[in-house]
Amino acid sequence: MPELPELNPVIHGKLRLALLSLLVGVEEAEFTWLRAKTGSTDGNLGAQLMKLEEAGYVAVEKKFVQRKPQTLYRITEQGREALTEYVQALKQLLGQAMEV
Amino acid sequence: MTENVEQHELRDRLDLIETMIAEGRRKCESWGWTFVLWGVAYYVAFFWADWTHFAYAWPVTVITAGLITMAGFWRRVDNAPNTTMGRAIAAVWIATGISMFVLFDALGFSGRLTDAQIFFAVAGAMLGTANAACSIMLKWKAEFGCSLVWWAAAVVASFGTANQATGAFLAAIFLCQIVFGTYMMILESRQRRQVASHA
Repeated sequence: MPELPELNPVIHGKLRLALLSLLVGVEEAEFTWLRAKTGSTDGNLGAQLMKLEEAGYVAVEKKFVQRKPQTLYRITEQGREALTEYVQALKQLLGQAMEV
Repeated sequence: MTENVEQHELRDRLDLIETMIAEGRRKCESWGWTFVLWGVAYYVAFFWADWTHFAYAWPVTVITAGLITMAGFWRRVDNAPNTTMGRAIAAVWIATGISMFVLFDALGFSGRLTDAQIFFAVAGAMLGTANAACSIMLKWKAEFGCSLVWWAAAVVASFGTANQATGAFLAAIFLCQIVFGTYMMILESRQRRQVASHA
């Protein structure tokens, strides 16, 4: 029996998975846009984004636009690869579950 | 039972990924109004130049339409992120617009734009190119249809009489700018309603 792939625990959290999936489709996104799309609270969103940043999956840039602070998030190459691997592992697991 | 729950959970994750990727890539920009605006601008410039023979009719109208377009996009800027697709489409139209403005103004002010049919043919070919490039990027057959109409107008301008060339150019403006722009606006408002209902 082939070994079952393990799912990356950093990505497996629903909010972190949603965030990475959102970021993969855009060049970079503001904190407020991510909050609106995920319907998350500021605190939870900030905490999950920090976990993704610590894992090297997202890069953060803070700047001022018209004197207002703006925090921009961008998926890194490492994050893109991790998401691709996660999707492959999911598909493999689902495929094996179908065969059973 | 547990296996079913796990399978359901995994499917749920896969659906979440697909939904969020689609959400991120969802076209945030709205372009339909610019098509209609430029269609009206072409008509204004055409008839203004034709009836009054005012040499600056085209440059004045094009600059005004350009300023309205910029103001419209400026007003609509929110915190929505840029997508690579949005940037690519904007690049095609900005480059085409600048090329047309520079070329036709240079030809006009140098006195070498003496044949209106050459203007119709070149403008039609350039607008056909921009529409075709965008339609290929977006995989959108309706917009490719517009490029065919513009190219047909360019061919008619090259081979037809002055009246046929004028008629083909005005018909192409109506179909590819006014009608297509209105169709885009309807699609965009439908899309906005869908987003609002999912939010």
